[in-house]
Amino acid sequence: MEGFFEIFAYDFGIRALQASVLVGLMCGVLGCFIVLRNMSLIGDALAHAVLPGVVVGFVVAGAGVMAIFTGAVVAGLITAFFITWIQHNAKTKNDAAIGIVFTAMFSIGVMGISKVAKTGAHLDLDHFLFGNVLGLSDEDLYLTFFITLYVLVSVVVFYRYLFATTFQPVIAETMGISVKTVHYFLMLLLAFAVVVSLRAVGVILVVAMLITPASTALLLTDRLKWMLVISGFLGMLAAVLGLIFSNYYNTTPGPAMVIVATFFYLLAVFFSPKKGLLFNYFHKRKTRIRVESEDILKQSYRLTLKGNLSISSLKARLGMSESYLKRLTKSLRKKGWMEFNKNHLKLTKNGENEAIRLVRAHRLWETYLVEELGLSSEQIHEEAEKYEHILTEDILDEVETKLHFPVLDPHGSPIPQKERNPEFPLANLNQKEIAQIAEDQINDYLLSTLWKLGLYPEQDFQVLDKQENLLLLMVEEETIAIPTSLARKVNVIQ
Amino acid sequence: MEKNIAISVKGLSVSYDRKMILSNIYLDIEPGKIYGVVGPNGAGKSTLFKAILGLIPLNSGNISILGKPINEQRKNVVYIPQKGEIDWQFPATVMDVVLMGRYPHKSIFQRINNQDRNIAKEALEDMGILALKDRQIGELSGGQQQRVFLARALCQGAEILLLDEPLVGVDITTEEKIVRLLKRMTEKGKTLLVVHHDLSKVHEYFDCVVLLNQRLVAYGETRKTFTDENIAKTYGSQLSVLHRAAHENEKR
Repeated sequence: MEGFFEIFAYDFGIRALQASVLVGLMCGVLGCFIVLRNMSLIGDALAHAVLPGVVVGFVVAGAGVMAIFTGAVVAGLITAFFITWIQHNAKTKNDAAIGIVFTAMFSIGVMGISKVAKTGAHLDLDHFLFGNVLGLSDEDLYLTFFITLYVLVSVVVFYRYLFATTFQPVIAETMGISVKTVHYFLMLLLAFAVVVSLRAVGVILVVAMLITPASTALLLTDRLKWMLVISGFLGMLAAVLGLIFSNYYNTTPGPAMVIVATFFYLLAVFFSPKKGLLFNYFHKRKTRIRVESEDILKQSYRLTLKGNLSISSLKARLGMSESYLKRLTKSLRKKGWMEFNKNHLKLTKNGENEAIRLVRAHRLWETYLVEELGLSSEQIHEEAEKYEHILTEDILDEVETKLHFPVLDPHGSPIPQKERNPEFPLANLNQKEIAQIAEDQINDYLLSTLWKLGLYPEQDFQVLDKQENLLLLMVEEETIAIPTSLARKVNVIQ
Repeated sequence: MEKNIAISVKGLSVSYDRKMILSNIYLDIEPGKIYGVVGPNGAGKSTLFKAILGLIPLNSGNISILGKPINEQRKNVVYIPQKGEIDWQFPATVMDVVLMGRYPHKSIFQRINNQDRNIAKEALEDMGILALKDRQIGELSGGQQQRVFLARALCQGAEILLLDEPLVGVDITTEEKIVRLLKRMTEKGKTLLVVHHDLSKVHEYFDCVVLLNQRLVAYGETRKTFTDENIAKTYGSQLSVLHRAAHENEKR
């Protein structure tokens, strides 16, 4: 373990650590906006395009930190401006415009460096391409610190401008926010961030520090503020761990930081609690097993009625493998829906109720599809087979009430009824009798249906007339007609 | 200028790529009413909105909002874009979106404070979606999503709302609910302009209509204005344009 932290015994190691923390944090935070604005390519472009600025700064003012910084920022802004100008004025595709400008700038930079290097001056291309975090001076570190501070403060102060223009640029414009100004301001921040990050991870990898932690954070949360926090933290962690690993395994720090960040990203892709692939897989698997278990219950119920329930008869009906069937029936036994009685498979009372609920859902839904949506009875089985697993008790109550408590489904099979019946059905009242709707109904949807017709609990009504299919009620000098099929299920009190 | 005019458009012309999109429009929108903006595709309905919002340069003419130019009325005008133009995956909560209504009230360095949050909550309450305030916007149903944007308009305290096809892609029950909400807004004195495609509902939904096809065909009370004759004038020319275009194409 000691070897891991050996690097921090040296001044250059401490400086590298501090710079890594700052760069990881800054890139992580700023990267969120780059990712959300679909500007990943621009981040990459800016990073490459600052190179000629570095060269010019070096040639004009020597190897001073500020000279190189200024040159690079100016080159970055020129690039951002050119890209935007081409996108608005030339008939070139947006991403092609970015590609054209940054490769040209990068080429100029590479040519410049090789020219300068021939004069014997110390300007190492490798350091710009892959970073040189272990070779930072105190001056470099101060610059990194102030730039990070500036970027973070800007994000906090102008948070709502960044949020509004990223989320809904047109709306932001109608609120009097200049989208263009915010765009260029973000470009400036990006240029700052890129230039100071070059020292740590280099031109080629800066974009990874911007987009990888941000994309990871986006998989983990759907709140922008949390995304900024998580992304900043992950960026920091990746940079520090990358630095430590690279030192221990004696390799280059920049790429190590990127690999750690990528590792975090992959973890999130698979294990994110809400958006991860593993979560999706288990969710789907759980749903599939539930559907299959419910199918077993339903078939077991049918086979029980025929006196022929066994693993092999289930196997013939459902087409599942025997071992799989055994596994599912075992879990059904654990739930108390099935039992083994002297080696015979048997549905428990609870299991039977569950199976009846499914049959009811299936047949009610078939009836609904035919009667309300006008489908023909050949089209409906598949549909109902799917929906019987999805429909909730609330929806079923509503369907049943709307259909006025049907007894047979479109194929002529009986629809299982809820076991409870009203204690005192409305349909049993005689002419002239006075009663009230009971608060307690067998079906929750009944009350709202009656309410729509104008009948409330705690309100007296009188039976005016009983016809063959209709009950006429008098409520507060209004006549209300209730179909007898419905009235049979309505509970009343006198 | 007259105080009882919500939006006054005088001699408005807009072109894009040398093609005329709106020409010489004169329009006085009365406050407290809901207007349907109707016309075929390419009639310039969205362009009219953009012109009112000051998002595009005008060739000629001028527009005033409650007697002032748009730049002085940013707080008072709200635009609700089509559903398709919104990124529903964006990591923003209902509260975040509604709070945007407070942005025009703030100078650069002012922060969003508790008072702003209370105003936003009131707006959410009013739209009946306070319970959803911490949800990510993509988790809502179509009707709830429209309510979020209406709540933002309330939160902003805007007098004028421009809605681009708010009823597209919602089911019929939701459509009726949204229309009821919109009418409730007019009862509070708000002025609403709504781009709408379903001609069969115009009489039912709107107090007034604006019939547009590059030129202003007619505008005014729906009962008097939305006549078969005016509809034919609005959509008829579109047909003949299509016809002519097809003809030109054949000649090649």
